[in-house]
Amino acid sequence: MSAPRHHVIIGTGVAGNQAARTLRQREPEARISLLTLSALPFYNRYDLPRVFRGVHDWREFLVDPPAYYEQQRIGLRRCTRVVNVDAKRKVVMLEHNEELPYDTLLVASGGRAYLPEELSEYQPLLDGFGSFEQAMAMRRKLPDGGTVAILGGDMIGLDLARTLIDTGHRVALIAGKQTFWPHQETPEQRQKLLQVLERMGLDVLEADDEGGIASIEAGARGFATRRVVFGSGRECPADVVLPSFGLVPSVEFMLGSGIGIERGLLVSPTLRTTDESILAAGDVCQIWSGEERRYRFYYGWKNVRVMGELAARNLTGEDETFEPAQDETLHIEDGATIHSPFWEYA
Amino acid sequence: MSAVAEPQDQEAPPSTPIMHSEDPRDVGWVVQNIPCQSACPAGTNVPAYIQAIAEGRHGEAYEINRSANVLPGVLGRICSRPCESACRHGWPGNGEPVGICNLKRSAADLKSAGHRITERLYAPTGKRVAIVGAGPAGVAAAHDLSVLGHDVTLFEREQHFGGMLRYGIPEFRLPRDILDFELHNALRLGVELRRGQAVGKGPDAVRVADLLKGHDAVLLAAGCMAPQPLSLKVRGDASEPPGGCPDVEHGLPFLMGLHRGERRSVRRRVAVVGAGFTALDCARVAARLGAHEVTIHIRTAEEYIPVTKEEIFEAKREGVRIKGLRTPVGIVLDPEGRLSGVEFVQNRLGAWRKDGRRQAIAIEGSEFVEPCETLLIAIGQKTVNDFLDIRIELDQWQNVRIGEDGMTSARGLFACGDFVTGPTTVVEAIGRGRLAAQKVDAWLMGKPRRKRVVQIVPIQEPLRERAFDFIGRQHMPTAPLHDRLGKNQLEVELGLNTGQTTQEARRCYLCNLHYQIDVDRCIYCRACIEVAPRNCIKLVQGVEVQPDGTYGSLREAREWNQVGAIWIDNNECIRCGACFRACPVNCISITRNEFVEIDTP
Repeated sequence: MSAPRHHVIIGTGVAGNQAARTLRQREPEARISLLTLSALPFYNRYDLPRVFRGVHDWREFLVDPPAYYEQQRIGLRRCTRVVNVDAKRKVVMLEHNEELPYDTLLVASGGRAYLPEELSEYQPLLDGFGSFEQAMAMRRKLPDGGTVAILGGDMIGLDLARTLIDTGHRVALIAGKQTFWPHQETPEQRQKLLQVLERMGLDVLEADDEGGIASIEAGARGFATRRVVFGSGRECPADVVLPSFGLVPSVEFMLGSGIGIERGLLVSPTLRTTDESILAAGDVCQIWSGEERRYRFYYGWKNVRVMGELAARNLTGEDETFEPAQDETLHIEDGATIHSPFWEYA
Repeated sequence: MSAVAEPQDQEAPPSTPIMHSEDPRDVGWVVQNIPCQSACPAGTNVPAYIQAIAEGRHGEAYEINRSANVLPGVLGRICSRPCESACRHGWPGNGEPVGICNLKRSAADLKSAGHRITERLYAPTGKRVAIVGAGPAGVAAAHDLSVLGHDVTLFEREQHFGGMLRYGIPEFRLPRDILDFELHNALRLGVELRRGQAVGKGPDAVRVADLLKGHDAVLLAAGCMAPQPLSLKVRGDASEPPGGCPDVEHGLPFLMGLHRGERRSVRRRVAVVGAGFTALDCARVAARLGAHEVTIHIRTAEEYIPVTKEEIFEAKREGVRIKGLRTPVGIVLDPEGRLSGVEFVQNRLGAWRKDGRRQAIAIEGSEFVEPCETLLIAIGQKTVNDFLDIRIELDQWQNVRIGEDGMTSARGLFACGDFVTGPTTVVEAIGRGRLAAQKVDAWLMGKPRRKRVVQIVPIQEPLRERAFDFIGRQHMPTAPLHDRLGKNQLEVELGLNTGQTTQEARRCYLCNLHYQIDVDRCIYCRACIEVAPRNCIKLVQGVEVQPDGTYGSLREAREWNQVGAIWIDNNECIRCGACFRACPVNCISITRNEFVEIDTP
């Protein structure tokens, strides 16, 4: 009798967690290791705007109780950074120099907020909202009725903006090309959508109309702590500046592994990489679309969850292809409400 | 170590027992254990100059550099950095590679204003050498041949020296005062300069046959300056105008024209196809010329293109976008015959090629059009040798064929650099120029006058502290973004300051330090193994000796009764010195092992 296989999953987002759940169901004896950089087990990042509605306890955000992992015999390794994958030796190298061997590897490391390179020098003056810790830090920094300047937009940032407006804060949206990322809107749709955002209470500024963002500066004592300065000379004061330009796949640790990478990991419709032992799922992968004849990303938690489950099934003997589970169109309802499928989460 | 020879041309304190060795084990140790130097086509002694920098001896560091490549300040700005890709500090688990190239620049920037260069001149030989082409290979060869005592004449078709350095690289990456300064230093030893002088066919050209008559040797270093053609179908409402679409240009002539002082302009949306430094330079120049949208289109993906990550980052900061997995197949013209788009076919990644790059495989039926109004094609260069007025043998790629002695099929006619190999990098061209100079000299003088040996110098104590391993890579300060656009001359990278330079230099593992355990004196107390930060000290049954006489892999012992020796695995060793300090019987020795060149008897 052969030893149970060791499935290693990098990332504990929707895809990674769903994959672990499915793997446990399909291979009760397998060893499953779930690696995450986060200090917390899987929690619902879509729910993070609730920190502005008084929910400050991390346990409120957990999808499964901490005991779940022990009950399911899923080895959850938190605060663990993967620095390298040696596909030839089938080993994951961790930052503390531990080598973790695997039989199969699922990369579900997701994406992190993209910061355009031209803004990178202002990073110390910017905030993030991609994790519970960042959300709480922003909550502590933002005074009641304070102003958040959202650079770019994207549907994650706009979702937060809805909550901020609802909770009595001000939001200045500095709109750019990625304002409705990942939706691909036409110029006409874009104008209508921006008008709706204004009606929702956001102050909308088109960055290009103001000569682009020239700099971001720290405010003087007694004034707003940040200023976004435009090429036109106009300034936008804010208590918090949040870049929101969509996601960039977290693939750095896969460089040099031999796996095909463009922006994300390139996978077939069965989520297989060029290495038969390595699959990828979620926001980290670009899936070949036979219909569109290109590799593309599929965003949204429904798609990602399907990918996680599919990857687990294909790691355990199936050979099924990915079918998108989420509508990608953006609607305006009654001329006053934006409806995005990316805001539908359970 | 063995086969010890007496040092012949190195000065040292009398009490320091310096040894020179040609033993294959010592030579092999240096090749295997100093990956940065082995990766450098010019063979730069990287650990030596970094140690000099760490100790504040910037002028000496500059001279160590200059002994391998005559343009350290230039290479410190634009080198493709094969050394950093090989650096042990960048191996898995060790962090980021040392900023070797930035340190090279620091040595040039921070040396004292009164710094005097050092040349170890040979007596005049009376031999005359003509060199055709004043690019990096030609200049390196001219310098070395003049140091070796020959009378050198350098012919350059353009009005100024530097070749691709001057005409192919934008000033915001390589300021011309730095280039002029180092070219002047390289050529000041009596090299006769003939600028604006074509060689070969042509009404005003000097014939190669005449050069061969008037010189003892002629070296062709004409570079690789012709753009690689790209076949594109014309789509759209108009046929391509005679002479081609005015909005489509090859990248290298575009840059060369600009750097000759000609007026160049781009339209609003610029597409660049290509994945090398020239493509990136074209894109960044286009952004400075006022393009609103600049996109580089590449056949594979960003990870696989042969340019440094820093260059990609700076290009992106300037607004350049990179789109992967596409090959251009056509251009789309509007009714006026102006460019309105480029047609691409979607690719998928294929296997790895022999040159270490990825294949791109076109996907049938996946054509699509990207709108753009200017197209710059920068997919590579090729050599041109139809200017030659004599017949010499060519290889299968129509490059000039040379023998082991560096000579073409015509007696006395040598060739080197990109003119022989096809397009490479500046540092490779310099390396090949130096090598060609050695071969020309050996032919002229009837024997090689220099040879490479391993110099072994005992070191009294570790030169590093463990704390240095935790210093993060120092990042190059750059000019503010709003100052850059519209200013082609403003250098983007500003150079590390003294403090940053020292910190970065301390990160170097100094791989030229050889830690060895004297097995006869070792008491196998394991104290060194206990303090070792990595799995770098091993109990072994033995060490393989490879057919070429160099050491191979270690055969580790699994049981105590199998232990034949305790051995420091120099592949794993990060030269922290912990073992040396812990050893109770002082059986660990340190030597600095490095290549030096000495005169042959």
